Amino acid sequence: MTDLSKIRNFSIIAHIDHGKSTLADRLLEECSAIDKREMEDQILDSMDLERERGITIKATAVQLNYQADDGETYALNLIDTPGHVDFNYEVSRSLAACEGAVLVVDASQGVEAQTLANTFLATDAGLEVLPVINKIDLPSARPAEVKREIEDIICVPAEDAPEISAKNGINIHSVLEMIVRDVPAPKGDRNAPLQALIFDSQYDAYRGVIVYTRIKEGIVQAGMDIKMMATGATYKVVEVGTMSPKGLTPRDALGAGEVGYITASIKTVSDTQVGDTITGVENPAAEPLPGYRQVQPMVYSGVYPADGAKYQDLREALEKLKLNDASFVYELESSIALGFGFRCGFLGLLHMEIIQERLEREYNLDLITTAPNVSYRVTTLDGTVKMVDNPLDYPDPMEIQLAEEPFVKVNLMAPQEYVGNIMDLATSRRGEFKDMVYLDANRVELHYDMPLNEIIYDFFDALKSRTRGYGSLDYELIGYRPSKLVKLDILLNGDIVDALSFILFADNAYPRARKICERLKENIPRAQFEIPVQAAIGGKIIARETIKALRKDVLAKCYGGDITRKKKLLEKQKEGKKRMRTFGTVSVPSEAFMAVLKLDDD
Amino acid sequence: MPLFFNNKNRTPLGIYIHVPFCRSKCQYCDFYSLTTKEDKVLDRYQDAVCAHIKETGPLAPDYVVDTIYFGGGTPSFFGADGMAAILNTIRKSFKVSSTAEITFEANPDSVSDRLLRRLRSEGFNRVSLGIQCDNDEILKKLGRPHNYAQAVSAVQRIRKFKFKNLSVDLMFGLPGQSLQDWEKTLKNVLKLQPEHISCYGLTVEEGTPLYEYREYCNLADEDTQADMYLSAVEILRQHGYRQYEISNFCKKGNVSRHNLKYWNGEPYLGFGPNASSDFGGRRFTIVRDLKKYIEGIRHGGQVLQEVQTIATRERAGEYLSLRLRTASGIDPKAYERQFLLPFGPLEKCLQECKERGLATKTFDGRWHLTPNGFLLSNSIISDLLVIQDKN
Repeated sequence: MTDLSKIRNFSIIAHIDHGKSTLADRLLEECSAIDKREMEDQILDSMDLERERGITIKATAVQLNYQADDGETYALNLIDTPGHVDFNYEVSRSLAACEGAVLVVDASQGVEAQTLANTFLATDAGLEVLPVINKIDLPSARPAEVKREIEDIICVPAEDAPEISAKNGINIHSVLEMIVRDVPAPKGDRNAPLQALIFDSQYDAYRGVIVYTRIKEGIVQAGMDIKMMATGATYKVVEVGTMSPKGLTPRDALGAGEVGYITASIKTVSDTQVGDTITGVENPAAEPLPGYRQVQPMVYSGVYPADGAKYQDLREALEKLKLNDASFVYELESSIALGFGFRCGFLGLLHMEIIQERLEREYNLDLITTAPNVSYRVTTLDGTVKMVDNPLDYPDPMEIQLAEEPFVKVNLMAPQEYVGNIMDLATSRRGEFKDMVYLDANRVELHYDMPLNEIIYDFFDALKSRTRGYGSLDYELIGYRPSKLVKLDILLNGDIVDALSFILFADNAYPRARKICERLKENIPRAQFEIPVQAAIGGKIIARETIKALRKDVLAKCYGGDITRKKKLLEKQKEGKKRMRTFGTVSVPSEAFMAVLKLDDD
Repeated sequence: MPLFFNNKNRTPLGIYIHVPFCRSKCQYCDFYSLTTKEDKVLDRYQDAVCAHIKETGPLAPDYVVDTIYFGGGTPSFFGADGMAAILNTIRKSFKVSSTAEITFEANPDSVSDRLLRRLRSEGFNRVSLGIQCDNDEILKKLGRPHNYAQAVSAVQRIRKFKFKNLSVDLMFGLPGQSLQDWEKTLKNVLKLQPEHISCYGLTVEEGTPLYEYREYCNLADEDTQADMYLSAVEILRQHGYRQYEISNFCKKGNVSRHNLKYWNGEPYLGFGPNASSDFGGRRFTIVRDLKKYIEGIRHGGQVLQEVQTIATRERAGEYLSLRLRTASGIDPKAYERQFLLPFGPLEKCLQECKERGLATKTFDGRWHLTPNGFLLSNSIISDLLVIQDKN
């Protein structure tokens, strides 16, 4: 076990794109944890998706051995955190495993909403926040100004912040020295009963779940019986160790202050909830570490295989993903239109997109996803309260006494010249203005209360486009409020397509219905007959479009017996048709489902 | 590849010669052709085609050739001597039936008396004349190298040299062409009394000059094109022409036997760059490059750009997609016998088409598409192929 005084546990926090993962790579390189030639960009982001999108989805931790200028060797535990509002809780648990946070701020972009949100999370967790100014080699860099911004807006001294370029390896050494100097060494009593914080876990086909943990008190070693305090599950520890960029390094024991992993033949990640406390079965801790919370999905959507026969494949893929992602929930759902599928709950839209993309890429599935919705709270006339996360379960309007929808507190930040645009946007999304704060001469933060439903579709995109990319957003759930809700049904050729039904705010129903009908008209290919597209509330048609019948779809000539070309054309058409779902007599391509999801005014 | 293919069923064979030369390139054309008349190039082409025919002939010793088709490009522009030389090579290398249908394509500007006399005496008995339209302004827009008066004169000369089987190619949906214009074209062309008429809807192909300015040349919309097609079917019917394929009409007994082979899945061999073949259970297409073709034939080398062995399962798909282009359509009993697949699910779909006026069932149980069905043939056929894949 490493001496407490020689351990530094830290995390890197940043707004998306400010260079967090690149800095992590450089730190690894500087500590020779990996050879330059083995260096794959952004090694901590091990999923393809993470690398492509430039975001970190799962937390990861790695131990670096750094010989500092004082001649001593330190164990630096870098805990990489996810970088998106969808994963705020995970971020908070990762931060709770650290004593310090390196705050990366882009030298030209300056402080942004997420910089602020993450910094608050870090200071709330009692962390020492150490700013670093990145991308100083860019012509637009303004380090002095950005330092002032950091001091003014987030009240963290930044005068001595290292000015670096993670991309070009400038001044990385000074970051490491700062970590050794300014991140407090962990505290903890290795003789006390075990208290280990789970900040992530990962399923491995051979070892079972690998739990990533920060030991707060006591020690843990192989053979010991342990207990998860929230879920109550008990296991016998098989192995403990630390994480290097190249893999897992077994150790005899992990003691207070250390960061490492535990394996114990655990079959499912749902037994190892992020934020839970591990203690010993013998000599257990009196109480768990603070801050544990059961994860609640915020956004729900139906996920169906585009080809109904692939239902089993989808089920297996979801089971596998679930092994690694305790925050994602799903249950069987069946739709008249789409057959068997799953109602899935996600932490947010990004989380939803990630799961979908992983299903499509890693499991090679073609999916149809229904419109995302939030969970509504409905009180019926007989006083029963039920949560409705599936439009199909929405009660008949005549039976509803009270309908409520979830609200969030939204912080929007942007340069002052976009305040008007942001206000227009927020108002159009039923935002209730709270206040506006000037962060400095130029930057403004606006606070709104807003229905969650209004931001889950495309609010972020809309914000970006109305602020030329400068606007940023952060939100948290504040509870349920009464609302006027209706269920909107879509009919194709006279038949309700249940998979297209959704719940929305009554006053938005007419414009939304019109737009959806238009979108469907654009996205459903013309058939050999005319197709009416209608939107209805409780049997009353409120919008209609007509898809005209196809009149001509013929290949006039196959020259000189060139059948191959004609065959290719028909083959393409055939494959296209196979990907479509047939509702009654109407074939609908999966893109049509996607198109109705994005309804921003364009 | 086996050394040769025996032909126990005595199936006749078609031969297609692709002549890739034109006076000028039409704005809509994406067939392989070059605008050259350098003697050296034409000679080399002719030598390569003849050598190719000579080396292929022995592979099909049992076949009797009953159709030969010179297409292009513009065979009449290539010239009578070259065509005669190629035809003679075919006669030497294959058994050619004495009643073979031997067609060449011609443009009105390149059918001289000399050419017609020569080709008739060589045994050519069918001419396919590219008239396209009776409106000189539109012809000019399309980049056609002739006017309508030349077309009328060409027909008279073709008759003078005793060609009894004349086909004319017409196009509809042309830039600036109205339904009335099209009907007028049909009526004028009917006065020429051709035995056979092909009416092709203009297809704007990517990569052609027309594709680049398609937005600006006042092309007929889908509805108008459909009306033009239906009106052609009706007018031609009234004048005694039977529609035997989507785009083809003829007086009794004058079907294009060569073109029917394509739709009936019968064997044909193609020679010349970009020519296609269906022979020995495989479809193959020759490289779309004259130089590579000549080089390949001369020095040995790859002249095929695409070879596909067609499995029985795939033939079943072809049966539907090709036969449904024809007026005789498909025969459920033959389909089930030949491919051992159930026809029931297909029949259900065809029945729905029938209810929409797109298909008809004949008294002897065959299914074929109606003119409205022909207009939607891609959509109908792809529906059937989806069903076929499921069973």
